[in-house]
Amino acid sequence: MTAVQEVIAAERAAPEQRRGGWLPAGYLSVPMLVLVLLVLVPMFILFLISVGMEVGRGTSVWSLDAYASILTDPLYRKVAITTIVIATSAMLIQLVIGVPLAYVMAFKSGRFEVPLLLGLVVLDELNPVVRVYAWRMLLGRNGIINKFLESIGVIDQPIDALLFNQGTVIVVLSTGWITYTVIPLYAAMKAIDPTLFQAAADLGAGWWTMTRRILLPLAAPGIFVAVLLVYIPLFTDFATPTLVGGTSGYMLGQAVNDLILQQGDLARGAALSNLLLLASGVVAAIAFRLARINKLEA
Amino acid sequence: MTRTGRTGAVLATALVAVVLVILVGPIVLLAVFSFNDSSIIALPWEGFTLEWYRNAFSDPDVADSLRNSTVLAALIAPLCVVLGTATAWGITRFRFPTRGFWSGLVGAPLVIPWLVMGVSGLLLFASLGIELSLLTVGAMHVAVTFPLVTALVSARLVRFERTQEEAAVDLGASQWQLMTKVVLPQLAPTLGAALIFAFAWSFNNFEISFFNGGYEQTFPVWVYSVLRRSDNLPVVNAVSTAVSAVQVAVVYGMWMALRASSRRRGSQESLTDLVAGGLR
Repeated sequence: MTAVQEVIAAERAAPEQRRGGWLPAGYLSVPMLVLVLLVLVPMFILFLISVGMEVGRGTSVWSLDAYASILTDPLYRKVAITTIVIATSAMLIQLVIGVPLAYVMAFKSGRFEVPLLLGLVVLDELNPVVRVYAWRMLLGRNGIINKFLESIGVIDQPIDALLFNQGTVIVVLSTGWITYTVIPLYAAMKAIDPTLFQAAADLGAGWWTMTRRILLPLAAPGIFVAVLLVYIPLFTDFATPTLVGGTSGYMLGQAVNDLILQQGDLARGAALSNLLLLASGVVAAIAFRLARINKLEA
Repeated sequence: MTRTGRTGAVLATALVAVVLVILVGPIVLLAVFSFNDSSIIALPWEGFTLEWYRNAFSDPDVADSLRNSTVLAALIAPLCVVLGTATAWGITRFRFPTRGFWSGLVGAPLVIPWLVMGVSGLLLFASLGIELSLLTVGAMHVAVTFPLVTALVSARLVRFERTQEEAAVDLGASQWQLMTKVVLPQLAPTLGAALIFAFAWSFNNFEISFFNGGYEQTFPVWVYSVLRRSDNLPVVNAVSTAVSAVQVAVVYGMWMALRASSRRRGSQESLTDLVAGGLR
């Protein structure tokens, strides 16, 4: 089970009718204070700044100018499309590779199952910026691949197309996040009774029928959890496109960074952050809903 | 039937092999080229050297960033385990008004993008006139990390055999005795895993450290800013290799410890902790 599934499960566990009096407050007051001060209050300030009310500067005119200027600016529309294309392609690549990989891990890997799982967790715990750098080292203008091809005489000019474009961002993001995609898929598939496949095979079902009628429907909650966990960080990423993206791979996360840290345009930076937050909320709501409906049917 | 079985096995092996090469290959090359005696990271191989490691560890920026990240994570991880466990216990074991709101608030940092958390933290501290430093980074790390510990620990609490807890309460155990004698000993392996994962979550965090650190750099922010300024550098390879080697060793060590403890207890729970913790 994944962290998010765990939370859903915890939420739906048989209610305990224990009356603790002030006990829950004893356990919860400090952590909740932390969350109010460092999550709720900042979100509120982000909202205030995005509607033109800068805290501490005494400006008190409400306006939706920041939102309007972002939503009508063709530049941001273009960046939004690039971001959606990159994030969605990376998500699809991860699912297309991740579903069979999780299937192999859950049912076909025998004594390699635990080492493979451990390998995925180790990769998760490596530093993401370091992993992006490793790709840049391979694909760069003076990178390992270009220098190697030059030295064996296949090319005499370095291929610039390897780095600093949309395709590179898609590849680097996919490889960076696929471990997070595979783990919930694996957890969902682990819960499938393997005899179902045997029964289906005995009744003459081919692999495609088994995939479509057994594997995908039963692994669906895992797929939605994977999307929930991975799609949101994908479309808000800014380190990866900055380090390997160039101009054709410019994403919304970078736009937020540039607005706030380069241009000092807090209102528009905050407005764009809020739009990203809204989009994350929509993705989360859809994924939660689908994960839950499927669980009830299963 | 056997023929399709064999084709399947070949395909499965090929898939796993290709994925492993793509995921692990770049990291292995990163490590290999940290020992190459050339300032250009490319073939031909110019000979073995430890020069980049010497340069790296005599660079004050590297030393600072590594120290910042390690100290921060070492302080935050235990704090998050305490806050996260208290939250998990409060939310899974008690029913009280407004419980839904608070459990939703705990879940929020799991779906709010870290970019937005980073930006909102920056604007909070700017509005309050608080200067950015490791303290502000640490505060935000705590806010996003302890809910992950809560997720890990509540998963275990939900699966718990409640009988021992109930027996302890029926026999008149105080809340303190219940915790120290019954609950925490059973949770120990999960808490150990949570401690290590919380350390890693803080150590690896880029977005929040980047927006809330001001002039104080953590390790991921150092790597990012070096790479923004210049081309690829063997020094970055050296530091990254050293850090990654430690991370691999720690996760492997944790796994061995979890397995040993679940064998002692005769349960299969270690795998679940590993899987749940593997999700950042």
